[in-house]
Amino acid sequence: MQGTETTTPSERSTEFVPVEGGPETTSAEALLVAAYLLMWAILLTFVLLSWLRQKRLDRRVAELERALGTARP
Amino acid sequence: MRDRAFEVLLAVTAALFFYLIAHVFLATPPAQLAAGGIAQKILYFHAPAGYAMYLSGVACGIASALYLFRPSDRRDAWARAGAECAVAFGLMMLVSGPLWGKKAWGVYWTWDPRLTTTLLSVLVYVAIVVLRAFSGGGDAERRFAAALGVLGTVNLPIIHYSVRLWGGNHPTVITGQGGGLKHPAMVQSLVLGFVAMTLLAAILLILRSRVALASTRLVRLEEAAAARGALDT
Repeated sequence: MQGTETTTPSERSTEFVPVEGGPETTSAEALLVAAYLLMWAILLTFVLLSWLRQKRLDRRVAELERALGTARP
Repeated sequence: MRDRAFEVLLAVTAALFFYLIAHVFLATPPAQLAAGGIAQKILYFHAPAGYAMYLSGVACGIASALYLFRPSDRRDAWARAGAECAVAFGLMMLVSGPLWGKKAWGVYWTWDPRLTTTLLSVLVYVAIVVLRAFSGGGDAERRFAAALGVLGTVNLPIIHYSVRLWGGNHPTVITGQGGGLKHPAMVQSLVLGFVAMTLLAAILLILRSRVALASTRLVRLEEAAAARGALDT
């Protein structure tokens, strides 16, 4: 059986000790992808909010036109 | 004609961003491990986003100062649009920077002078946006927001020179003396990033100022219509 190693109960971890200065565990690739995704998400949210505000304005203009009796066909 | 020019600007910006992404990921080499390795590629959007925040902040500051000098709806709309865009670009910078910092410095955040002054500036613009969103569009609110807009802009040069004045962890690679990017593709990616983000800032500023101006005009029309009894509210 490749890839698995059997350990006796006495060899297994019985506690977790914090390590300072150990090997890097944060993947640079993951951070890079996360940064780009979050930046585009912020940008798209901003554009979406602008679009929603524009839609609200359009609705209010239509209401005003109806109220003034000048609504275009 | 103006709309046609705007559509062309939109198309050019979109094409430039596609090219920039391909150039950053396919043609630009990663930097040394001490600078974050492949995570250093965040720079090509992070620094331009900061620059776009400066541009938006300057637009907000100039429009705010002009509004305080002589109020007009157009100036108010540009001040508001500038603050909103500064928040968006500032958030892009503040989100991407810590992810790069985690790899390069080992921590997401440190109270480095540049990071602290940037956070302060973004918070000033957030305050303007919140103020305008929840306090109505009265003259006093507009003037107070304009004063905040001027204050936010005064802080921008402090952010820029904080690295040289007070030191800290933030790199000083991009300087007036030519910069420290040691590969032509790195320089090309950064220049492309600055151009693309400048065009994007221009597009968003124009769009948001148009929406803000239309909103103000609509409120005036609604008030006039209500005064004439044409509207229920």
